Amino acid sequence: MNNLSYPSQTIKRRLLSACLLAASVFALPQALADETCMSPYMAKITGQEDFVYVWTLGMAGVGDEQDKLVTVDVNPESSHYGKVINTLSVGGRNEAHHSGFTDDRHYLWAGGLDTNKIFIFDVHTNPAKPKLTRVISDFVARSGGVVGPHTTYALPGRMLITGLSNNKDHGGRTALVEYSNDGRYLATYWHPTDTDLRGAVKTGQYADGYGYDVRVLPRRNLMLTSSFTGWSNYMMDFGKMLNDPAAMKHFGNTVVQWDLHARQPRKVFDVPGAPLEIRCAWGANHNYCFTSTALTSKIWLIYEDKNGAWQAKAVADIGDPGKIPLPVDISISSDDKTLWVNTFMDGTSRNFDISDPFNPKQIYQKKIGAQVNMVSSSWDGKRLYYTSSLLANWDKKGPDNEQFFKLYHWDGKQLQQQFVIDFIKEKLGRAHQMRFGAYSLYSGKIQALPAEPLAMAR
Amino acid sequence: MLRRIALCVLSLGTSSGWPGSAAFAEATPTVPAPGYGTLAFTPPVPGSYRLPILGRAADGRVLADTAESVNLHDLMGDKIVLLSFIYATCSDINGCFLATAVFHKIKRRLQQQPELSGQLRLLTLSFDPQHDGPEQMRRYSEGFADKMVDWRFLTTALEAELEPILAHYGQNIQKIYDAQGSFTGSFSHNLRVYLIDRDKNLRNIYSTAFLHPDTLINDIKTLLQEPPQNRPSASAMLTGPVDKAVDLMETIRRPPLGLPPVPQPLDNPVTEKKIQLGRKLFFDRRLSLNDTLSCALCHIPEQGFTSQEMQTAVGIEGRTVRRNSPTLYNVAYANTLFHDSRETTLEQQVWGPLLAPNEMGNPAIGSIIEKIKHTDNYLALFEQAFGQRPDMATIGMAITSYERTLNSANSAFDRWYYGKDKQALNAAARRGFELFTGKAHCSRCHTISQQHALFTDNALHNTGIGYADSMAPVMTPQKLEIAPGIIIEVDKKQLVSVSEVKPNDLGRYEITQNPADRWRYKTPSLRNIGLTAPYMHNGSLATLEDVLVFYNEGGIANENLDPLLEPLKLNDNELSDLKAFLEALTGDNTVELVADALTAPIGDSE
Repeated sequence: MNNLSYPSQTIKRRLLSACLLAASVFALPQALADETCMSPYMAKITGQEDFVYVWTLGMAGVGDEQDKLVTVDVNPESSHYGKVINTLSVGGRNEAHHSGFTDDRHYLWAGGLDTNKIFIFDVHTNPAKPKLTRVISDFVARSGGVVGPHTTYALPGRMLITGLSNNKDHGGRTALVEYSNDGRYLATYWHPTDTDLRGAVKTGQYADGYGYDVRVLPRRNLMLTSSFTGWSNYMMDFGKMLNDPAAMKHFGNTVVQWDLHARQPRKVFDVPGAPLEIRCAWGANHNYCFTSTALTSKIWLIYEDKNGAWQAKAVADIGDPGKIPLPVDISISSDDKTLWVNTFMDGTSRNFDISDPFNPKQIYQKKIGAQVNMVSSSWDGKRLYYTSSLLANWDKKGPDNEQFFKLYHWDGKQLQQQFVIDFIKEKLGRAHQMRFGAYSLYSGKIQALPAEPLAMAR
Repeated sequence: MLRRIALCVLSLGTSSGWPGSAAFAEATPTVPAPGYGTLAFTPPVPGSYRLPILGRAADGRVLADTAESVNLHDLMGDKIVLLSFIYATCSDINGCFLATAVFHKIKRRLQQQPELSGQLRLLTLSFDPQHDGPEQMRRYSEGFADKMVDWRFLTTALEAELEPILAHYGQNIQKIYDAQGSFTGSFSHNLRVYLIDRDKNLRNIYSTAFLHPDTLINDIKTLLQEPPQNRPSASAMLTGPVDKAVDLMETIRRPPLGLPPVPQPLDNPVTEKKIQLGRKLFFDRRLSLNDTLSCALCHIPEQGFTSQEMQTAVGIEGRTVRRNSPTLYNVAYANTLFHDSRETTLEQQVWGPLLAPNEMGNPAIGSIIEKIKHTDNYLALFEQAFGQRPDMATIGMAITSYERTLNSANSAFDRWYYGKDKQALNAAARRGFELFTGKAHCSRCHTISQQHALFTDNALHNTGIGYADSMAPVMTPQKLEIAPGIIIEVDKKQLVSVSEVKPNDLGRYEITQNPADRWRYKTPSLRNIGLTAPYMHNGSLATLEDVLVFYNEGGIANENLDPLLEPLKLNDNELSDLKAFLEALTGDNTVELVADALTAPIGDSE
């Protein structure tokens, strides 16, 4: 990012920059934000996003009660700015959770953690009106028993899907599953367990075989997975589960380092207390990633040491861990300097200075609502979108069950709310994951770039 | 210009690493891709990993640089192929340049490895047929052509012939227009290189970050090492205990020592065909409304045919079930079913969970029957087992036929008590038996007879567990073990904010409406009790020690407390002996029954 500069502004070089930005993506340490949550292999939105697609859980008693992809117009120049412009109901409550684009960004794959369906939306033909083109309903059967498709992560020509559970006991033992972009099942990679380490080295006490998120650093041939819990827990009423010591024993305590190319586990790290989202740094020499533990409320750094070995280290507390703030989504800034961490229980978004990755320090916080889960940032870090829902049965009950989509502007010092969409009032449901859409991705034209496209990040 | 690019790429290939040429450095203010330099990691050893088949490599009509028209498939099959898409005027070092530079490096490497070079073909196909005619491709190829390595430079006659090829390979190309809307001659594209095996299947796709001669050559070697009959198939299994089917009829023909003959209804004698059908149904997740829950997901074979990972069960969409899943071991002998004894036959009981809105969630009997009729080969299996189609009777009969085979005894206790093997039971367990049948009064409800023992009186009792659940205030603050060994106190307000209103449970009263039946629950068998934690109707006691302490204290006082319960005043040694006895009630065939269960096909939506 900042170590790059564009020396001149000749047409040729601007075109080259454009080509590099839009095309040969990975080797470039790019300036991206929500895009930093996404696969390094895909084309990026480098300017103003036009749409946010909100993968929304159907809610009994609200509207048509089923899961839907909600499209919000977020371009301030649009007459529909801040409005829902499309909803696409998919049938059933599938425990809609995460979604991800294919590497060509033509399709959005959105998973259901309960029914194991994967809904594939065409978002390129008309980005304002996604179309459901395919439903993969045999994910469990094809994958050899993987339940709970969570992260849908683009690799060249294919999608890597993390599971959360299995069809034998609905516990946490699970696998990664690979599909081709055209929906063909390719392979299943089970997580290492104590009884079958699959060639990995156990560095601590645990090898639980649980899964959650996946991220890659291709230049280091690194793939990391985190670990949550099985179907029984993530589907259970949150209060019932917290009151059940037997259930509480079944959370993931590991992060696994994989050989990305071979898709083989190499090292199992102890990261106790359910490490969830993983975000890798973007700097060309920043060989590290962050994760946060939901139950123990810590930021962990997974880093490559000077000997080239990967290590895991707890580097900061999030809020007061004794009060279970429950850190959920995290978002790294494009310059690797800050990390947004949302804490569900107090509905707060916290900004950490991570310029020294071994010493993150909280520098700002703001209450977003009675509960908050996801945060997605524009690539310049100036626009932050928030949604409320964690899991259907983990969301707060009663009046605290606010369901919203909110836009804030961030000026580097504070968050200013721009608009709110009340997802219950609008009869939509529980707002969960957000992905950005833009006409420019599919226009056949590279959008107008500022003179110093990469330097604009901060 | 073209010539200059070719030479520059050539020089990259011959230089030891990036940055190589000043011209490139000046023109490319960015980090060169890994493919130009030394690989920054140790790649996996060839043959130590598998490359799944990604699909068929597409065919298409192309032009060789001799202007000869050929099919892409004619250039595949005899050799492994690396295919890249480029355009000759591309100025993106991490795009087309990279693909050509990496091919060039591979070519140079293979010159030293003739055993490999003869097995590889490189294809460079232009996606700019307007500019890149065969002659342009021939000129582009100058400096790359080589006798040792087969490298073809291709283009297409028309964009119309190119487009389906690009579409099949998922190679997205966009023309770049300037601010006035004129085509600049440049393209935007995600760099992709494709590895194609000798069966014309796509085996890998490389992007900028992964396009490196080392990884590509390793992948080529991996394909070459792959025995043809051993090419990857699309399957994977969760590892578990060694799975082995057993003759389940045997537990019916010859019940394990300590159990009486297996009761079978006159209208539903157990048969092999019914067992197999019932087993298939038992593990079929499609028997729930949204295809997520089978019987086996609350009665999990590896967890004692109950659920050890939670106190009370979780049903469809995560809905709360109030009670602990009872084990199905020896359920054939139960003369009433459910914790409140509300059901009288196993065949009828089956329909309870199928129809409960918080268990398997089916809206109607008819909808289940119709679903089964249209799933897999169930119609034929029902015909074979019952000579009739699935209906309310035969579905219950089939599932119970499997359940009636889950008989497990011949435990250490059985071998000692009924088998008269004096060595079978250790001293602690023998002392525990004396307490069990004597001072601790356990056998008043968990009965043992001269010929056999079911360890239940099949009656209902109030121990106070249910009473406490309904009447006692919620304890605050709540201690939570949030990770192994990390215990924190969470405040009640926070807990309440994420908790549904806990459903009440009044026990047998809910069936009889008789106040005397409040909080009475059925006595469970104690066979295999060591495998079926957590305990009590609500799973509230985690260990056998907890249970023994609970009874030692005489239960929880309430107006309907069973008079059989009283403080027992057992010391720690006695409690330990009782535990040893309880643990000696584990049958000797549980491993086989679990292994058999693991061989059962799990029904998932197709």
